[in-house]
Amino acid sequence: MGIMGDKNRPSSSATSPCANFRTAYHNCFNRWYSDKFLKGQWDKMECVSEWDKYRECLSKHLDDKHLSRFLDADGVMDFNNPAQFKSASGVS
Amino acid sequence: MVRAYSQEHTYKHPWERVTAASWRKFSDPENKRTLSHILEVDTLSHKLEPDSGKLHTTRALTIHAPGPWFVRKIIGQDMCHCVESTVVDAQSRSMQLTTRNISLQKFIEVEEKIRYDPHPDNPNGWTVCRQETSISIKPFSKLASMAGKIEQKCVEKFQHNSVKGREVMERICKYLEAESSGGISV
Repeated sequence: MGIMGDKNRPSSSATSPCANFRTAYHNCFNRWYSDKFLKGQWDKMECVSEWDKYRECLSKHLDDKHLSRFLDADGVMDFNNPAQFKSASGVS
Repeated sequence: MVRAYSQEHTYKHPWERVTAASWRKFSDPENKRTLSHILEVDTLSHKLEPDSGKLHTTRALTIHAPGPWFVRKIIGQDMCHCVESTVVDAQSRSMQLTTRNISLQKFIEVEEKIRYDPHPDNPNGWTVCRQETSISIKPFSKLASMAGKIEQKCVEKFQHNSVKGREVMERICKYLEAESSGGISV
């Protein structure tokens, strides 16, 4: 719509630095969700190593203004370990 | 002024399959073309309550939300950041998602709630999806004088996106159904 067109649209999520870790985590989550959680096996979450790698990547890229916005929002987060998400400016 | 509307849709698929489809809605490449306004989705947190079988998840959504040029001049950007909080209760078979914007809050507040429950007429075979959306332009913001018009445009846009979302969900449900009849899962 308008003269801006698609030229200024942000790039797709395929270029997100954590895309591969995210995909690995989501694939694992989807399998766990259907094969275990929905069938009554909800004693623990799996995909721990995929989750850890994904989170580590996100924490390295917090300075990306998109992600730091989510941290700044009040009462939104329920981090298991807030210290992992300290950004360079000290926001935790 | 708050504009609110609700929608209801029945998926002729069991609740387990529909909720599994909901998790896949934004990640399949084919679906990304249909839901092209969703730019990024990241999972921020998850928590499982082993006693109750409840899964709590928070996700960050970055959405491309272009408006007419005069709105863009006031707001200064095309992107909206939202947080989606989800609770899936596997014991009682209910899933609730609440999505609200965390950017552009000076101008607008949007909240969308979606629930997936077994359909009362066919609890093992069908799922009812109820969606409630409310849109409100902040009264003292620079958009206030155009509030009614902008809210109406948002409603139209969201309803258009909901139709696309349902198409994607139906497509994923059919895919999961085919997989399960091939003896794999869900």
